[in-house]
Amino acid sequence: MSPTPSTPDSSVRQRLLYLHARTPSVFSEILGYTPVEPVKDYRAEITADVPEWPYSTVHDALVDGWQIIQFPHLQAPFDDRDLDIVGYEFILQKLEEVRDG
Amino acid sequence: MDKSHLLTDMEMVGFIVNGYHLLELDLPEGLNERIAGRLDELDHNPGDAIADEVPELWQAVEHPAVKGALVSLLGEDYEVQGHRHWHCKQPHTGHMSWHQDSTNSRDTRIDRLLGLFYPTDITPEMGPTIIVPGTQFRNAPTDRMATYTNIHGQVPMVVRAGTFALTHYDLWHGTAANRTSLKRHMIKFLFRRVRDNRVPTWNHDPEAMNVPTAWGGKRDDPKNVLSFGNPIGVGQSDHYKERQIRWKCWNNLLGVADATDR
Repeated sequence: MSPTPSTPDSSVRQRLLYLHARTPSVFSEILGYTPVEPVKDYRAEITADVPEWPYSTVHDALVDGWQIIQFPHLQAPFDDRDLDIVGYEFILQKLEEVRDG
Repeated sequence: MDKSHLLTDMEMVGFIVNGYHLLELDLPEGLNERIAGRLDELDHNPGDAIADEVPELWQAVEHPAVKGALVSLLGEDYEVQGHRHWHCKQPHTGHMSWHQDSTNSRDTRIDRLLGLFYPTDITPEMGPTIIVPGTQFRNAPTDRMATYTNIHGQVPMVVRAGTFALTHYDLWHGTAANRTSLKRHMIKFLFRRVRDNRVPTWNHDPEAMNVPTAWGGKRDDPKNVLSFGNPIGVGQSDHYKERQIRWKCWNNLLGVADATDR
């Protein structure tokens, strides 16, 4: 979705990107990729055919202008035996002019 | 039982590492079509009674290949549980988010399996089940998965008619959207281990693990796949934990009393 000139049906909105990385490092590879576009009726979804992700790492997204608004929580009790969720969650945003439809 | 249908060491290790095993059943000609036709005509979901409404389903559940895989994974006296469900994904319906079934009471053994039977070909557009290999030993509240959509290494059950997928009960799964005008049928069965193994119940070669450890090398033997398989590319800490869990699971299946980590 590209920035568009401001018009009556567009406004500056928050685009979100959930990236689940192998480690808390922004340079580690991404295991999960979920974009959230701020347009009506948009739904992020699991797909059978996975399009190629534009970024391999969180750092790639930073280079492309995304900003991290939440780093992975690392304060959880550490257990060296059990496994829980996959990867470390970074939440990123871009504030851009977005048009509906 | 005909031992030709028991799993090999490599297939057992594949299940421990990935959490699923696919079987393409050679069912009698026309059976898949009859099952699908009857499901298409059902005007209600009979819940646990789906196999009473469509008794032809037992020919899939009792197929020698399915029984062989179940004996291999759950022991000779495995139980077909009473709960089963027809998952009919209606035309033009959305995706289903990642989840593990039931509550977060998990373990790291192979004691419960889901059996997913598909009586028709499933295309990517029909809302296939999608699984995340290797996630079966994770204990993750489903709500915590809500911010994930596509995950590296996920596998869609884009399969041929007559496929029976066995998955570990705790494997992360969801579905894609059904963008077609067809109903997508999947019938889920549950299977349970009744008692611990005293001996291996698959086609086990006692020498299977007696091979060199392939640090950084070729890894296509049971021992090295069990140690080094990393289907979705998790980080080192998780991978080390996976390795411990897998070896404990393997030893448990061998019938080693008080199976411990390796």
